[in-house]
Amino acid sequence: MKKKNILVILILLVISVVSIIFSIALGPTEVELSTLLSIFLNPSGADQTANLIILDIRLPRILSAFLVGCGLAVAGAVMQGLFKNSMADPYIIGTSSGGALGAAISIVIFAGAGLPFFAFIGATGATLMVYVLATKNGRAPVETLLLSGVALSMFFSAILSFLMYNAGKSLHQIVFWLMGGFWNVGWTDAFTGLIIIFASVFLLFFSRDLNILSLGEDDAGTLGVDVELLKKVLLVASSLVAGIAVAIAGAIGFIGLITPHVMRLIVGPDHRVLIPSSLFAGGLFLLWADNMTRTFFNEMPVGVITAFVGAPFFLLLLRRRMRA
Amino acid sequence: MIIVDEISSGYGGGDIIRGISFSPGDGEFVGIIGPNGSGKSTLLKSIAGILNLSKGIVKIEDLDVSKISPKEIAKTLGVVPQETAISFDYSVFDIVMMGRHAYIGRFSHESVTDVEIVNQAIDKCNLRHLAERSVNEISGGERQRVIIARALAQQPKVLLLDEATSHLDINHQMEILNLIKDLSGVTKIGVFHDLNLAAQYCDRLILLNGGEVCSSGLPNEVITQKNLSEFYGINAVVSVNPVTKKPRIVSLIESGGKTGQKLKIHIISGGGSGCEIMYALYECGHELTAGILSIDDSDYSAAKSVGIEVLSVMPFSSPDGAMLAKLSEVISQSDAVVIAGMCVGDGNIVNIEVLSKNHDIPVYVIGDFSDFTSDGKLTDSLLKIKKRINYESDLSGLSSKISGR
Repeated sequence: MKKKNILVILILLVISVVSIIFSIALGPTEVELSTLLSIFLNPSGADQTANLIILDIRLPRILSAFLVGCGLAVAGAVMQGLFKNSMADPYIIGTSSGGALGAAISIVIFAGAGLPFFAFIGATGATLMVYVLATKNGRAPVETLLLSGVALSMFFSAILSFLMYNAGKSLHQIVFWLMGGFWNVGWTDAFTGLIIIFASVFLLFFSRDLNILSLGEDDAGTLGVDVELLKKVLLVASSLVAGIAVAIAGAIGFIGLITPHVMRLIVGPDHRVLIPSSLFAGGLFLLWADNMTRTFFNEMPVGVITAFVGAPFFLLLLRRRMRA
Repeated sequence: MIIVDEISSGYGGGDIIRGISFSPGDGEFVGIIGPNGSGKSTLLKSIAGILNLSKGIVKIEDLDVSKISPKEIAKTLGVVPQETAISFDYSVFDIVMMGRHAYIGRFSHESVTDVEIVNQAIDKCNLRHLAERSVNEISGGERQRVIIARALAQQPKVLLLDEATSHLDINHQMEILNLIKDLSGVTKIGVFHDLNLAAQYCDRLILLNGGEVCSSGLPNEVITQKNLSEFYGINAVVSVNPVTKKPRIVSLIESGGKTGQKLKIHIISGGGSGCEIMYALYECGHELTAGILSIDDSDYSAAKSVGIEVLSVMPFSSPDGAMLAKLSEVISQSDAVVIAGMCVGDGNIVNIEVLSKNHDIPVYVIGDFSDFTSDGKLTDSLLKIKKRINYESDLSGLSSKISGR
């Protein structure tokens, strides 16, 4: 691994730690630095309101936002490698529409009970369904996966629209969920988010295989990669990651698309570097987007900010690539 | 050592190739040829383990390819595809290093040995100066050399080439095929579109048609006029490359169009002046004879290559009486005689002199003579038949002119 790339990862790691700590001080309620220190050093002796704000509201939210960002970026990097296409994102094979459908079912039918669970089942279930639909004779060509994903997404969107049409008063709840945000996260979400880190480390061990797979399935096979097994592993792990992200924060767009794309420009296409650097960069992106919404934008859905910043940035990259 | 034994396979909808067997010697270069849809690429994919076999077995070094893991296959068998689309900007070194994948464990990193082997492969393929460049910034020929280097980094016993050079320019084709041919200790099996390249580079050829082997052996045994017309449906001339002694194919382009009328035409030529005329008239479906020609004349080889009957003599000898009588007889049975402009001397003037004996055969002359005869023999001979001589300048219209009479 090149020295420059190790340095990039280290720098991102340091910025991540600093950002997480710094974010604790950010928010609509001002908390004195001394109060902050006392909360961590001597929780029982500190101001109870500040204690509640920092430990039960801000910290889980900061960690959740960071971890969801990590997950979306890693899943995006893996999907782009798998589909040999830098325009792919973690939602490309039905994850977001499946998650949205699950969430909507929970809201409309069960009044919002078990929403994250339903969203997770919807997201991962959709990916599984796409895989089954695209498989014939034990093989699932990536083109077929992609097309099945698009078709199934549309189908789910149709059901979602139907549910929204009949949702009545709970419509605004679905709409808010679709935009994505971290209003209601707690420690459970932050701990669930840790699975994203484990899954990402697991995926890292398949990064050399993923490099080779991005040359095409036939080539990868002749170079000693068990292509079908690898695809299954990658799909399961990355849909788990994306599913958890969707369950925690809804379908937040553009992070999974932009982050790996930008990091590829900086560190190159090698997934052994691209996956860890995308992980930190994605976490940072979403953490700061969420910091902005909770500090300056009066709790606007964070998905609005990521898309608002992400889309023009993406177009800029696209124009630059067209010139090259 | 690779053994392909009675294999059949296809893409799920029935077998495309059926019962194919062969076993190249170590280090041999075997070419697989055949018309489009004959199953060449299917055969290669079946050997590589990309397609599952429905029957038969492929063994490399006594290992059954269908029973060993992809990693084990990758250590014995390298594949060079026709074209590799690389979506991301990997460096040349990175791509060649991917050839070592099968040797590196999941939880380990490439070793010093791996780097050394990759560097050797890069040097062998003359890629040193490109090693740090992105594969998407180099030319198609260079990229194909990268893919070959990647296959070499696998340290394979067998190298499979699926039309590995067919989209490259001739200079790159030859560069790459020279490189491959010189790989000692590696058995090469390649699918070829270009029969001349196949003949030039392969030790043995296998001709496929309809998914079955219909001919195999040395290039000159497989590339024959008969096989070309039977399996490719082309009318081609197979001659011998004077430098490499390998068969060489010249396909004939329809020039005059078939007249429907099949005439007997005798061609008098020498020193290569008659080749074009022979091919042109042969294409129009006429029954041709030629001569008298010395057997070292290039017109003789040309006539033989399209199966024209030739009256011939040994080099530097004059035709005897019997041969001249035969010439006279052949001409008298012809509907026309065509003379190609050539050098005429006392040795070959007999070919033209004989025409004065056959009073009613029309004579067509194409091109100019260089007269080296003594006592103006050429002028005399032409004068004797001047009433029936037609001087032509246009080869393409010759056949219809002759038929039109």
